[in-house]
Order: sequence, then structure tokens, then C-alpha cells
Amino acid sequence: MAAAKLVVWDAPVRIVHWSFVALLPALWWTAETRQMDLHFTLGLTMLGLVTFRLVWGVVGSGTARFSRFVAGPKAIARYLKSAPDNANPVVGHNPLGALSVVALLALLTAQVSLGLFAQDTDAVDSGPLNHLVSWDTATAASEAHGIVFNVLAALIILHVAAIVFYRIVRKNDLVTPMISGRRTFASPVAQPVLASWAKAAGVAAIAVAVAVWISFGVPPWGAKFPWDETAPAEDVPSVDSYM
Amino acid sequence: MKKLYVIAASLMVVPAISAFAANPNPAFKQRHQNFEAMGKAMKGIFDEFKKPSANLATIKANSAVLAQSAKKVGGHFPKGTGPGAGVKTEALPAIWEKPVEFKAATDRLVTATAGLQAAAATGDMVKIKAAAGTVGGSCKGCHDNFRKPKD
Repeated sequence: MAAAKLVVWDAPVRIVHWSFVALLPALWWTAETRQMDLHFTLGLTMLGLVTFRLVWGVVGSGTARFSRFVAGPKAIARYLKSAPDNANPVVGHNPLGALSVVALLALLTAQVSLGLFAQDTDAVDSGPLNHLVSWDTATAASEAHGIVFNVLAALIILHVAAIVFYRIVRKNDLVTPMISGRRTFASPVAQPVLASWAKAAGVAAIAVAVAVWISFGVPPWGAKFPWDETAPAEDVPSVDSYM
Repeated sequence: MKKLYVIAASLMVVPAISAFAANPNPAFKQRHQNFEAMGKAMKGIFDEFKKPSANLATIKANSAVLAQSAKKVGGHFPKGTGPGAGVKTEALPAIWEKPVEFKAATDRLVTATAGLQAAAATGDMVKIKAAAGTVGGSCKGCHDNFRKPKD
């Protein structure tokens, strides 16, 4: 029974995770202080990261895949019964933790999507797809953007509390593996399949393309391509010019 | 006896408060609705600028709304409808302290929106965009000086 040190979290998962940690407070702060240009830039970065993570959840490394960790209530019940027994450690997300991952990613997806359509009271500072919906829809999206943030914040508190619980009660450090990617197992377990850097680069390219395309207003259906503007740029009033 | 006084006093005060809250000056609601209509019309126009092909009919209809609503703004701020009237408002005291400047600002809005309506009638997108920018400038000019800054 040799101890095994395995890579449980690949680099893309870790980079995306810690980017979320850095971006969320920044997004909150730029909204509070009404630095909307910066908020939009960070929001589109978040959109790219969420897109990456969702695609990576289908084609990425073993522990990143939804099909591997998303579990039903039976599996969760089984895990809870056997949880204190460290003889069969879970490599990757355990069935209960998977709920947290799915909920957090779903909320981030909802939050970033609502932001695309949101507007302030004057409809001056508007998301990149705001022009495709009515005033009332955009106002509803803005309110939901505020509510979902609070739900997200509550879940993040729960997420951190769970990590503290594992650390103190279960003597299980979850933070270090999320930084280094590596975790030592007392019993032999198989190294999860790691996706290649080339694949990560390909998925990143898709995510960047999606984020940029949405930031342009989803041309050609939602807007003109930036290089197809008919009038010279000087003649187009900017949103800042009103209200 | 003392208790009776309190009850009697309450009976007099309560209707006064409810009357005050139930019947605020209609100008509060009218101007709010008018500004919201203008906001919607501005969004309606600027949305068309962003879309792949602008719908001229939408721009014309919204320009007409703006021109009509703009004329009402000057009359929507009677004395006593500023902050401190018991109704939540973003109107600044400057509206009543600087009536000449406020009048100039609302006149500028009327002129700008009429200009936009005229530009919309020509159907020339370059003119329409320029005129819409002028309207935006008149909105901003007033908001900067006479409206409570956003939090």
C-alpha cells in the first residue's frame, strides 16, 4: 500500500477557480462604485472563464468533467454514510461537493447572462445585449442581477464554510490541492486522465471568441460587425453622451 | 385625562399624515412617468443604432414621443415638489434656486428633441445620429446640474 501523490486538479481548473476568486470581489466593487466600463471588461472576462469551464466540464480532464462528478441523491446519501471512512477517498469532487460546484457554476452563468441584458435607471450603462430587449425586460434583468448576486454570495459563504469544516473537523486540506493541483492519498488510487495543453488552448480560443462575439452584440444578427459601421465613428453618439 | 389628550392628538395627527402621504402633488408621478417615457424612447432610438439595420419607423415614433414629452418637463416642477416634500425625489433644490438656468436647460431639451424629430423625418441616419447626440447632451446637461447624482 504505497502512498500516491496524484494531480487531482489540472492547471485550467485551478486557473479558472482562482480567477473567479479574484474577479468576483472586483466585479462587486466596480458595480458599487459605478465604474461601469471596468465592470463590463471584467464581466466579459468572467463570461469567457465561465464559457471555458462549461466546455472544459465536457471535454476536459477527468476530475473536471460533469459526467464524472455530478451525482444523484442516492450517491450523495451513500457518500454521507461512508464519508468519515478515509479508506475510499474520492479523487476529485465528492457527490456532495458536486452539488456546490454545479450550483455555483449555474449561478455564475445566470449572473453573467443577466448582466448582458441589464441597464441602469437611465439605460445609459447597458450590457452588450441590452439593445435587443425592451426597457421592461432589461429592468427585470437588472433587478435579477442584483438578487442573483446575493444568492451567489450566500453560496460562496457556504462553500468557504464547508472548506473550513473539512479542514478542522475532517482534517482534510482542500485548499492546497486547489493551488498545487496535487493531493496525497494513503491508499493507491488511479491517476485521473489529464487533458492536453493543446486541448486547453483550443477550448480557451473558443471561450475568447464567444466572449468577444457577445461583447460586439452578437453580429451579424444582433449588431453590425465593428468593421461594418456605415457612419464614421465621430458621428455615432456614445451612450455617455446622454443622461 | 392625559391619555385622552394623547388619543385626541393622535386622532388629529394621523389623518393629517395619511392625507399627506396619500395625496402627494401629482407632479411627482407625472414627471416620473414622463422621464421614464423619455428614457424608453431614448433607449428605443439608441438600440436601433446598434442593431444591424436601423428601423426608421421606430426611430420616428420614439422621436415624436421625445418631442412631446420634452415640452412637459418645464411644467412638472411646481414649487414645493423638491426634496423635503415627503416624497422620494432626485430633483435638486437648484431647480427652484436657479429658475433661469433651469428654464434654459428645459428649453434646450425642447429644441434638441424637435431637431431630432426633424432629422428623423429626413431619414438621413448621419443627421439622426448627430441630432440624437445633441438630445443626449441636453439630458446630461440637466442631469449634471439639477438631478441628484447616482449612488
